[in-house]
Amino acid sequence: MKTRLVLWGLSALSAAALTLAPGSPWQDGGAVAAYPEKPIKVIVGFSPGGRTDTVARLMAKEIKERGLLPQPLVVVNVPGAGSTIAGRQAVEAEPDGYTLIHWHHQMLIANAMGTFEYGPTDFESVGFTGGGSPIWAVHEDSPYKTWADLEGKLKAEPKGLVEVIGIGTIPHFVGALLAKEVGFETRKVAASSGADRSKALLGKHADIALFSAAEYTKWKGGGMRALIFFGPNRVDKINEVPTAKELGYDVVWANPNWWLAPKGTPQDRIDVVANALKAVATSPEIEEWYKERVLDPYWTDGTQAEKESLELLEKLKEAAKDIKK
Amino acid sequence: MADFFAAFSNLFQIWPLTLLAIGVSLGIVVGAIPGLTATMLIALTLPLTFYMESVNAITLLVGMYVGGISGGLITATLLRMPGTPASIMTTFDGFPLARKGQPGRALGVGITSSFIGGLISWCFLAGLSPPLAKLALRFGPWEYFTMVLMALVMLASLAQGSMIKGLISGCLGMLFAMPGMDPSLGQMRLTFGFHDLDAGLKLLPVLIGAFAISQIIKDAVEIDWRPKMMSVSRRGIIVGFQDVKRHGINMLRSGCIGTWIGLLPGIGANIAAMMAYTTTKNLSKEPQKFGTGHEPGIVSAETANNSSIGGAMIPLITMGIPGSVVDAILLGALIIHNLQPGPLLFTTNPEVAYGFISSYLIANFIMFGLMLFAVVHIAKVMYIPKSYLLSAVLVFCVIGTFALGNRFFDVWVMLAFGLIGFGLEYCKVPLGPFVIGFVLSPIAEEHLRSALMMAEGNFLDVFNRPVAVVFLAVSALSLLWPLYQERLARRQREALAAAEPLCQNDSI
Repeated sequence: MKTRLVLWGLSALSAAALTLAPGSPWQDGGAVAAYPEKPIKVIVGFSPGGRTDTVARLMAKEIKERGLLPQPLVVVNVPGAGSTIAGRQAVEAEPDGYTLIHWHHQMLIANAMGTFEYGPTDFESVGFTGGGSPIWAVHEDSPYKTWADLEGKLKAEPKGLVEVIGIGTIPHFVGALLAKEVGFETRKVAASSGADRSKALLGKHADIALFSAAEYTKWKGGGMRALIFFGPNRVDKINEVPTAKELGYDVVWANPNWWLAPKGTPQDRIDVVANALKAVATSPEIEEWYKERVLDPYWTDGTQAEKESLELLEKLKEAAKDIKK
Repeated sequence: MADFFAAFSNLFQIWPLTLLAIGVSLGIVVGAIPGLTATMLIALTLPLTFYMESVNAITLLVGMYVGGISGGLITATLLRMPGTPASIMTTFDGFPLARKGQPGRALGVGITSSFIGGLISWCFLAGLSPPLAKLALRFGPWEYFTMVLMALVMLASLAQGSMIKGLISGCLGMLFAMPGMDPSLGQMRLTFGFHDLDAGLKLLPVLIGAFAISQIIKDAVEIDWRPKMMSVSRRGIIVGFQDVKRHGINMLRSGCIGTWIGLLPGIGANIAAMMAYTTTKNLSKEPQKFGTGHEPGIVSAETANNSSIGGAMIPLITMGIPGSVVDAILLGALIIHNLQPGPLLFTTNPEVAYGFISSYLIANFIMFGLMLFAVVHIAKVMYIPKSYLLSAVLVFCVIGTFALGNRFFDVWVMLAFGLIGFGLEYCKVPLGPFVIGFVLSPIAEEHLRSALMMAEGNFLDVFNRPVAVVFLAVSALSLLWPLYQERLARRQREALAAAEPLCQNDSI
């Protein structure tokens, strides 16, 4: 009996505290609570330290420091199964605006490969906060000095060169898109991580490997040479590498930092988050930060982001048919 | 070389040194408490290091590793109970010597030997790792596959106790590593449509379950048991230079044996101590004195178990292949910090690679100092009632496991493997091969399938790689070795018979 009394007392007290607390929805008499009134969880499907995690944490930090939202974004890492574990958590989350996922086009690849049955339309796209593109590299001692050299060899001798990829991941698909466009075939060898791919290339166990431009800058002039860049335009730090587009091939892989919310999240809440993200992503300091890391700073709103992703998904599904053969 | 000194100067700052000292002292305390092992401590600390800088995290964990293996000698000497499995062999001579009225001397010899063992294997670690890393870069998929195969075969033939049970344990471990994404098809396998299994069973929940939870279950069964007090004085704890000289050859030999055993994947400090002890005894002019408080016995056991730590780190930082169960956790630590151990670690993250090396050296000095001056006080922690410890550890297990991937599924996995681990140990199946099978089989599979993709499915391609052929040959020899060893083992088993009830588990 006594405990119950104490409990009643406590709850009454906390209710009173809530009503009187500054910033509480009841204080200014409004009936509708202002979003967000509690921290927003941002799921990241990769371990801390990678690009997706770093960008998520950067955005969270900047939003907090600039006071763009009354509540913080809290990054939660859920690594595993090519980030689809995180994707499932996001799909199943309450669509109340308090759960977001920060992802990239690995989602489309997982969908095309059939390991993740959800696609862009099963989420609400919030927007892209910039992105980054990869390169194809060969060993520094390799006889192929330019893309033309490599292309000649690739076309002359089908399956003559070894390409190291992660099966069913970005390197696999970008390589496949290029191979289809140019018309060549490589011998593929599996290596799960970027570190394994650099080991294979530097140890001369493979001839070609794909790396993000940022990864490549670590090895530029010290073991590797990039021959082709998959970005829409050349970028400062690796200005000597031509884009696939310039070389006449319609292969662009501009992997965005993609923010998504569970399907059914109210549009007005998405807009609140999108405005905060946009303000950060388009600020000069952040643009500088991106360029420093060979990333491309930009903001793309949710509708456009979903449209671009759906178009790409169709292409990837085509490529997946060849890959799974 | 510049990186090497940079790592040292980075270590000599307040925060890293504090972390190292905390790590070593916690390690010693946990190592000294029977039933809590270094493996458990390190696995549980790992989630706490998420937000530390990777070098600092490594510093802390290496300190725990060194402290944990060393602390075990206190209980082994004073209570005839190995505080950590690595110090089983220390009970043979340490305890009799302590009972003869020389506990200080017995501890002193053990502590000094541990220290010197650490220094010996540090020389190997610092001297061999950088060139080995360069060599390992030239290893392709075939070399990696045959090397891991060799490790698995050796593990089966050298594992403690029955080979059949070792094999069962190893194969079970390999089986549990199978579900999840197929590395060369990119499709799910053995997940039975259960999406939580898409990422497979993760290393740390499995390890924490198999080593911490199973131990908690076991300890809970005998929760009221308390060790008898023994009065300890520090008299005779400082070992003179003359003594070190007298035991010099023994230390050097045991240190080399320990390092070598440490290098081999899967077999850790306890086997190293046993091998060194038996070797010293077999070479001794007075083998009958072993087991009665004979100093050379303490020296070889303690030198070897400490030197195995440095040895076991060599394959970890140069090839990404863990040399012991603790190293499997350290591997997990590196991956959590987005670092890939392997031949490129010295190039991409020299501060981490050399951080291992420098922390290991300094940890040994800290361990030596702490043990010499505080051993009497540390000895008291053995009497803390288990009920307090175990409940705290259990809470940490659950929090730590959840924090790894922010999902509750991992916690269920951990609890399930706690039961599996308890069951296996109950049937006297060693857990070491289980974990190593679990860790090594994905590495073996990935490299085998890469090699086959490169060779377009031709198995005979392996004969084009001389190094791989050597590894295959060694694997074949290792399979024959047990036949020869059977005779040797019979003699060892007699020696072990006395300590059999004390073998708590096979973890380190």
